[in-house]
Amino acid sequence: MRRASGKGEMMTDKLILYKEHLNSFLRKITKGFELIAPVRNTYGDTLFEVISSVDDVRIDLTNRPILSPKRFFMPQVETLFAYRYDKSGYTFKDAADSTPRVIFGLRSCDTRGILFYDLIFQEGLKDKYYLDRRKDTILINLGCNQPGENCFCKSAQSGPFLTYGYDIQLTDLGDRFFVETGRPRGRELLAGWSYFFRPATQTDIDEQYEVVLESEGKFRHRLDFDAATDKLINQEVAPAIWEEMGNRCQNCGGCAYVCPTCYCFNIFDSPSSEKEGERLRTWDACTFAGFSRLAGGYNPRQDKAQRIKRRFYHKLFYDKQKYNIPSCVGCGRCADICFGRIDMLSFIRLICEQKERVLAPAHRRLGELLLEAGLISQKDLDLAIEKQAATGKPLGAQLVEMGMVNKEAIARTLGYQLKIPGTAENIED
Amino acid sequence: MRSVLTTCPFCACGCGLYLHVENGRIVGVTPSKKHPISRGNLCVKGWNSIEHVRHAERLREPLIRKNGKLVKTGWDQALKRVSHELLRLKKNYGGESIGILSSAKCTNEENYLLMKLGRAILKTNNIDHCARLCHSPSVLGLTNAFGSGAMTNSISELAGAEVILVTGSNTTEQHPQIARFIFEALDKGAKLIVIDPRRIELSKFAHIYLSPRLGTDVIWLNGMMKIILDEGLVDDSFIKMRTENFSEFRKFLSRFDLGQVEAISGISLEDLRQAAKIYAGAKRAIIIYSMGITQHVSGTDNVESIANLAMMTGHVEQEITGVFPLRGQNNVQGACDMGALPGMLSGYQRVDDPAVLDKFSQAWNTDLPTPPGLSSVDMLHETGSIKGMFIMGENSMLSHPDMRNVRASLENLDFLAVADIFLTETAEVADVVLPAAAFAEKDGTVTSTERRIQRMRKAVPPVHLSKPDWQIIIELARHMGFPMDYESPAEVMEEIALLTPIYGGVYYDRLETVQGLQWPCPDRNHPGTPYLHKKSFARGKGLFSCIAYRPPDESPDKEYPFALTTGRVYEHWHTGSMTRRISILKRECPEGFIEISPEDARALGIINGEPVKVISPRGEVVTRARLVEGLPGKMLFMPFHFREAPANVLTNNAVDPQARIPELKICAVRLEKVK
Repeated sequence: MRRASGKGEMMTDKLILYKEHLNSFLRKITKGFELIAPVRNTYGDTLFEVISSVDDVRIDLTNRPILSPKRFFMPQVETLFAYRYDKSGYTFKDAADSTPRVIFGLRSCDTRGILFYDLIFQEGLKDKYYLDRRKDTILINLGCNQPGENCFCKSAQSGPFLTYGYDIQLTDLGDRFFVETGRPRGRELLAGWSYFFRPATQTDIDEQYEVVLESEGKFRHRLDFDAATDKLINQEVAPAIWEEMGNRCQNCGGCAYVCPTCYCFNIFDSPSSEKEGERLRTWDACTFAGFSRLAGGYNPRQDKAQRIKRRFYHKLFYDKQKYNIPSCVGCGRCADICFGRIDMLSFIRLICEQKERVLAPAHRRLGELLLEAGLISQKDLDLAIEKQAATGKPLGAQLVEMGMVNKEAIARTLGYQLKIPGTAENIED
Repeated sequence: MRSVLTTCPFCACGCGLYLHVENGRIVGVTPSKKHPISRGNLCVKGWNSIEHVRHAERLREPLIRKNGKLVKTGWDQALKRVSHELLRLKKNYGGESIGILSSAKCTNEENYLLMKLGRAILKTNNIDHCARLCHSPSVLGLTNAFGSGAMTNSISELAGAEVILVTGSNTTEQHPQIARFIFEALDKGAKLIVIDPRRIELSKFAHIYLSPRLGTDVIWLNGMMKIILDEGLVDDSFIKMRTENFSEFRKFLSRFDLGQVEAISGISLEDLRQAAKIYAGAKRAIIIYSMGITQHVSGTDNVESIANLAMMTGHVEQEITGVFPLRGQNNVQGACDMGALPGMLSGYQRVDDPAVLDKFSQAWNTDLPTPPGLSSVDMLHETGSIKGMFIMGENSMLSHPDMRNVRASLENLDFLAVADIFLTETAEVADVVLPAAAFAEKDGTVTSTERRIQRMRKAVPPVHLSKPDWQIIIELARHMGFPMDYESPAEVMEEIALLTPIYGGVYYDRLETVQGLQWPCPDRNHPGTPYLHKKSFARGKGLFSCIAYRPPDESPDKEYPFALTTGRVYEHWHTGSMTRRISILKRECPEGFIEISPEDARALGIINGEPVKVISPRGEVVTRARLVEGLPGKMLFMPFHFREAPANVLTNNAVDPQARIPELKICAVRLEKVK
């Protein structure tokens, strides 16, 4: 057995944990905490699971779990409290959960997702239910040596390694983990079992630096978030793109459900009789029609295209304005699962990277395409261009306004032309 | 928190999902990423498939009717009463006086046990389930043509198709996960032909979209085939090697007058010609169809015409080519497989085949009834011969056509027992109501539309005093003096495997994977079958049938000038007993509506969202008008999920004479403004 430090000396903030000691260390954690880690199950899927015995499961530090660990802090269906009404009025029974937890092996994107949740749920009215579940949770982040197929955390500035915000961060150095402690509770956790660790040497520090550099060079996707935000601010996204995405969106809500930063929820009461029941909250998604429908039945965002537009504005513009960061951590989960390619990766690529090749020609050639498709006549086009000079409207909008062609036809014409870029289907294997 | 892999309880896509359990409650869902269909995502129903499980309105204990009211009782009394009443009817009027409705929402094991209880104990073949209302014409028509009524290929093969023809299937809304494979094919350059009276979402992506009038499918199908014949696009060598009766069929087609196509179906010959050329010209083409084809008095004709079309172009019997009847319920394929059908035992073995009868009566150690029984439509729409019924997990009151007639039939019964998870509209009129366990509370298997047999796994214990249906049936059998000795659904499957050739190799230990097994799987070493009819049709040679056009039973007239068609919406499931109790789904689509074209609405002075009265010769319903651009004139659409505005008050119970499916897709109505 390799010798660790053994002496319980003062912990520095850079340590080494040999992999052969990992299970022993995790076993210690299970004695005082609920341990949560990515587990590869017998069906081949990797999920964050509560681990009661580290020897009975296969901890998977290779594949990204299907969902982020947000469900441990805000379950999809959560009972907030039970209520009962009698002669003396209402009595409430709170369903708070403040189990001390350690989440081990979550990646920088997911840690950043939780940090974003912290921001949201502490802002203004503090969300007791979230904070109860969160307050005694320690996050052991594992930096990514090998970004996945659809990963773009580097572009989102949330990875592959964290510079702040973690309790503990590990870097895989082959036979050992380089261990950094961030917040005090991370240091406290390690101090309890200091004999598993030895201080990092300069060689370890250099090696870790190399790993980080190497990983940063491995990303398949580089997205320009700032440029994307500018496009939105300047309204430079062609209406046809929103239309096409609206057509392809199936309203499954999956993008919001898998997103580590999507926090919207719905609250409702579930009565079990006239006098008692429970108040529940469930995950919600801004792409659902009912999400923005008003009490009288009117929906300001009746079309899917409008709701999708709002989603991207929220993530890339409004949140950035408010918190100075976009609410996307670049985990790529939406890109993994959206067959419609209405995901962050495809969207930013579509509006930025391909602008010269695809967007501009499409803009320039819209009239030409509609002519080709027999949807308008040359006379219509000339007339619209003439009018356009005065109104300054985009050509498509001008044609629609003049009743020469409908929006759907434009979306279809451009849709065939645009060819939303392909993304890989599966990050695993 | 622990995670339990199970199969989605809604449609027959058969997605794999994990239920997360915390303190005995299901608190979340994660789609399986390794699952061949879910691939890490679900539709809105799948993502929200949990709230109904512990909904406050779940049935808590057995109910029994006393002085006209349903009151609480114990399991023993309830089962005693069911057993006593059904045995009394059997003794007094014979087994044929009893009708049994099994359930496409229940597991294979439960369907098998219930059909065994019906046949072996009550001696009745009057056993059926909701496949009658959806794919009975496919079971019959495709069996006639190919030798097997199931979907010929696997869902994932769609992604590789060159041409996909979708007709009578609103795939994006009703089989969302299958639609995703269509989109994949489109992205790879496939051509899409959509033929549907309604301008469904998918039509936006169609290279050709055709809108036939309701109930004119045989006309455009024959027209398309005539064009293919005239253009010389038939696959001669396939026809010669693999099929029979083509010469008759060729003669029939040569007499077919293309002039009537546009007059009757409303589709222009030019458009049809274009579609015919694209479909017939492709190397790998797939036809997807669903209720729009089957729910007609000509349902079987429609299906056989589709089979003709696939055979004459050689688009069947290979990978990535075939006929995809998309099954509706999560286990409607399995309920058919298990013999919850009046003429078949498990594995489509005919009740009137002496060898089959011998095998089963020996295995079950009792004599079995021979003549095929009545269909569900005949049980529920013919008063008289049926005196008592046992209904498991079906809400026939809302799902069958002509609700007034169904209500009268059910109320006329001497005895009705219903097992369900909620007090459905059907349970409300029962004499005994048995509280059943929901999908997440029991073990078993279900079979998806691609013949994929998968596990349902228990995540939480049944609520209150409810029990899984398989246990209810076993206890009922014990009360009837016919002990059924099974410890678990796995043990039931062992019996199914022994008696059912297509399930011969299906054992629970083999199902501990994410992809399950696709039947036919005849023995333990067989890997299962991704696509059917490889090298030869199940019946030997594919059979061409000459199909003449039969108009719908009811057409609009002066008094009832609109054609009403019915269907479903994306957010709800069938009679809504589950999805209308799930908060997000309820919010997404809170109430019923009727779709009308803006032109027709204007003519009647109806504005969007306004309540309207819909009147058919059978009844009337008040619901809200929804103006929909692109809906053909004089045509209306209503979903049937909503008990406050039940579409099936209006629908016609005229049936296809062969498959006995009612014509749910067209009836005549008029509209009135509500003053």
